[in-house]
Amino acid sequence: MFAAGIDIGSTASKAVILAADGGIAAKAIVPIGTGTVGPARVFAQALEKAGITRDDIQWITATGYGRFSFEGINDQKSELSCHARGIAHLLPATRTIVDIGGQDIKVMRINGKGMLLNFVMNDKCAAGTGRFLDTMAKVLDVEVTDLSDLSFQADEAAEISSTCTVFAESEVISKLAANIRLENIVSGIHKSVARRVASLVQRCGIQPEVAMSGGVALNKGLVHSLEEEIKHPIQVHEDCQLAGALGAALYALGSMRSA
Amino acid sequence: MSETTEVKKPKRPLPKSRVMLNALVDSIYQAAWDAEAKGEPVGWSTSIFPQELCATFDVPVLYPENNAAGVAARHDSPRFIATSEGELGYSNDICSYARLSIGMAHQMANDPNYEPPSVQRMPRPTFLLCATNSCFELLKWYECLSRELDIPIFMQDCLFNYTDAKPAKHWIAYGRSQIEHNIHRMEEFFGKKFDWDKFLELQKISVENARLFDECVLMNDRNPAPLNGFDLFNYMAPMVVARSRRETTEVLLQLKREIQEHIDNGTTTFGTSPQEYRVDWEGIACWPNLGFNLKTMKKYGVNCVTNGYVGAWSLHYTPGNLDEMAEQYMLSSTNVVNTTTMMGKRADVANHFQCNGMFCHINRSCKFMTYQMTCGREIVEEKCGIPVVFFDGDQADPTIFNEAQFETRLQSLVDVMKANKEAEQ
Amino acid sequence: MADVKNLLAQFDDISKNPQRLLKEYLNAGDKVIACFPVYTPQPLVLAADMVPMGIWGGQCNPQIAGKYAPIFTCSLLRSCLEFGMTGAYRGVSAAIMPIICDTFRGMNSAWRAGVKDIRPITFIYPQNRKDPGARDFLIEEIKTVRSALEEISGKEITNEALQNAIALCNKRNAVMRAFCEAANDHLDLIRPADRHHVMKAATFLRPEKTIEMVSALTEALAAEPVCDWKGKKVILTGITCEPDEVLGYFADNNVAVVGDDLAQESRQYRSDYPAANSAIESLALHWFAIYGCSTAHDDNNTARGQMLVKLAKDSGADCVVLCMMRFCEIEEYDQPSVIDTVTRAGLMSFSIDIDQSTTESGQALTKIQAFAEN
Repeated sequence: MFAAGIDIGSTASKAVILAADGGIAAKAIVPIGTGTVGPARVFAQALEKAGITRDDIQWITATGYGRFSFEGINDQKSELSCHARGIAHLLPATRTIVDIGGQDIKVMRINGKGMLLNFVMNDKCAAGTGRFLDTMAKVLDVEVTDLSDLSFQADEAAEISSTCTVFAESEVISKLAANIRLENIVSGIHKSVARRVASLVQRCGIQPEVAMSGGVALNKGLVHSLEEEIKHPIQVHEDCQLAGALGAALYALGSMRSA
Repeated sequence: MSETTEVKKPKRPLPKSRVMLNALVDSIYQAAWDAEAKGEPVGWSTSIFPQELCATFDVPVLYPENNAAGVAARHDSPRFIATSEGELGYSNDICSYARLSIGMAHQMANDPNYEPPSVQRMPRPTFLLCATNSCFELLKWYECLSRELDIPIFMQDCLFNYTDAKPAKHWIAYGRSQIEHNIHRMEEFFGKKFDWDKFLELQKISVENARLFDECVLMNDRNPAPLNGFDLFNYMAPMVVARSRRETTEVLLQLKREIQEHIDNGTTTFGTSPQEYRVDWEGIACWPNLGFNLKTMKKYGVNCVTNGYVGAWSLHYTPGNLDEMAEQYMLSSTNVVNTTTMMGKRADVANHFQCNGMFCHINRSCKFMTYQMTCGREIVEEKCGIPVVFFDGDQADPTIFNEAQFETRLQSLVDVMKANKEAEQ
Repeated sequence: MADVKNLLAQFDDISKNPQRLLKEYLNAGDKVIACFPVYTPQPLVLAADMVPMGIWGGQCNPQIAGKYAPIFTCSLLRSCLEFGMTGAYRGVSAAIMPIICDTFRGMNSAWRAGVKDIRPITFIYPQNRKDPGARDFLIEEIKTVRSALEEISGKEITNEALQNAIALCNKRNAVMRAFCEAANDHLDLIRPADRHHVMKAATFLRPEKTIEMVSALTEALAAEPVCDWKGKKVILTGITCEPDEVLGYFADNNVAVVGDDLAQESRQYRSDYPAANSAIESLALHWFAIYGCSTAHDDNNTARGQMLVKLAKDSGADCVVLCMMRFCEIEEYDQPSVIDTVTRAGLMSFSIDIDQSTTESGQALTKIQAFAEN
């Protein structure tokens, strides 16, 4: 039998299936989130990759913003607990986790077992979130996946001082109008997000090692900016985007074993 | 609330009054450092505390609001604000002066590599003076400073006047009681006797300075205005940090002479661009954006000939009369009186100065002043028949200001003022 | 058990229908005085034969309050203004408004401009509570409230009537405190929302009615077996913790509320009117006895944190949850110190946003759930 974790975020859906021995049987990511076909699709994809059917899954744990809306789950867990559990599995030395989600920034302090010791989240404001990056990419007419490479081509970071998304958008437009290099603007955007996130990291308190989870962690340019702001190296696992789903799958596995 | 010093290196030589002013402010900071070096008490104070008291004790006092304005104008506020919002965990909803100053106090007290601002460095204080006239947030802010630095607060609770009537007898009695009790507490804290004769002398100087300052402000009612209105923000500094000093009298007398010269010669510090529109600026300056704001306003020929804020130090009482003194501290700030009183007064001033419009700084850091404008907009529109336009900004946090919005709002104000002028002709 | 359920349903109903209760009072010929948060001299209202009712805003997305209140106005007072401007409080004779923060400075003007049919009775609490002149000042200030109420009721407020009203309010406070204690032995029956309904209903009911109903509830609880609660326990601090959905998140995650320092709840009932030379003086002295409250300056600058630590330890709580009223700056200034003091004492602490203008509180759920899971 198998255990599945599904992480339904606001901008992407992720799934991990674990075999009874804890080995990863399949993982899948679909770039659309809650309220779309994303969750169903990502689950179907994971099943297909694992070469199993729904009936082979004994326990499904959901997490993420849309965790209540997926049918047929056995239980659900908060994103915070799942990211903590997932990252502790991927990078066991981690004590501080930064997760930049579509609409939330989370900073967590964990112990060696992946238990949460403390956490802080952003207030109700899109500043510094994944959504903020999406908006800025749209204004610049580039793909959000290209932001990282662009930022490494910058010779200096343009100053983006506004944290408010609407104001920052207008600031970016005026920089474009002033013929400031696109790469420098992207670097400036990263710096602005990094500052905002660093403030939450300071508030939670840094204990090494620091790791980033979530899809935004794939943006190396942003990770680099954040490292500069918090003056600390940041570990990023190649499966960082799956950390929440993996954590959920680990919870599912535990429930399956004790069931 | 606040006030400040100059922003950028001026292209033209400073007028003599400004050179005198800068020397005076420098000497105030130096006196604080001298006291610190000798292990003597140094205070940090809100901007409209009865400063006559510590002046009588000859104990130096510095003013975080004034200092924050200067630090912000030099674009040095973000690092202190970051400490407050990050390490300390303060919400970015609270006043940015508070965030700046709490962050600075924390660094000062805890960081062995603390790097002070490049100018106007403040030594660590040993006590706090807090008057609640400018706002209630001041008290919460000073509670935080008191925790951060583990030092006591001397409070002058200045009651918010929720009616249009003059403060009642029991209000004045409470104000007077606090002045007397604070003197008593200070005698113990400083280990010095209070010199009542000296106090009377300093009260006289304070009142004289308040009168002179009001005169200077009022002289800008000429057309064209002799001063670029933003200059007034700079001259608030001595009223905040040195209200009871003879040197302040000298600065103000010199300023008055300079203004008179401008009037006689038909010149103005507004510069070479013609002043086409006279506007009343409401709210604190956007210190980090002062240069941009000034440049943009000049571009459209807009001179902010007056603002409500500079009147906050207009404290007029009979020297020796503690009741009147207590009452004045309950009346002078724009934020200690209710909207009908305050905005009614502003409307009268806008009329007197022949303003064509009112430009209001909506500032989350100064919540109640923003309330005054939101609530009082109708009063101004009715009494003056001039357009009232709002823009978003902040007094010290550069993340809240947007150049494009500022210019667009200013342009729309100009459009209405232009249409009004044309309709008149 | 049936008694408990029945009474809880009544409190739930009352807490959600203050407008209906207002109509009942008015239909019975009573005059009603609205009382803004946090502290108002309610015995004066009772002594003038009128009914005091707390006003706490409510879940609404203000449409017209913005005319007088900036967008960053404290969420609670913004909805109070909206309700005032849209006639929800119609029939109330006056509203007592203490100036305890900058938003109240603004509300004083906004209310006068926007709610012309309800007279505000404004007064001010002295913040320099250690000053020898503060007490005399407050006595005179309360006398101005008395005069206004006498004018409205057409009845003189005698010292005797006021003494009786004070005794009644103190008795009500004791009953509320006894309920809170009893509730902690029955956390299976008194879920967080139930506790809140009782505490909030008491701000709308006449004190006699509160005493009768809450005493009955406490008695009914005594007949039930004591519950050994296995889930986590928290203390709530802040202005309010609403709506029910948020409290439901605690219940759904097996987290009990074992104490509170909410302005809408225990801050109303935890300190009595002390004995004094006169009834008016007793009302004034109440202000000087308040401890650990964001609206009353204290020379002991960690008073609130210390009080919360004690409350948590006394009630066996694991965590202090700050219920942060959107744009309430006085609470925001306290937040870092409270969290610091509480966590230094070895307790967990986190904040959740309380915003009357939105029903979206997914982040609060995530935080509560994460706390419960770990």
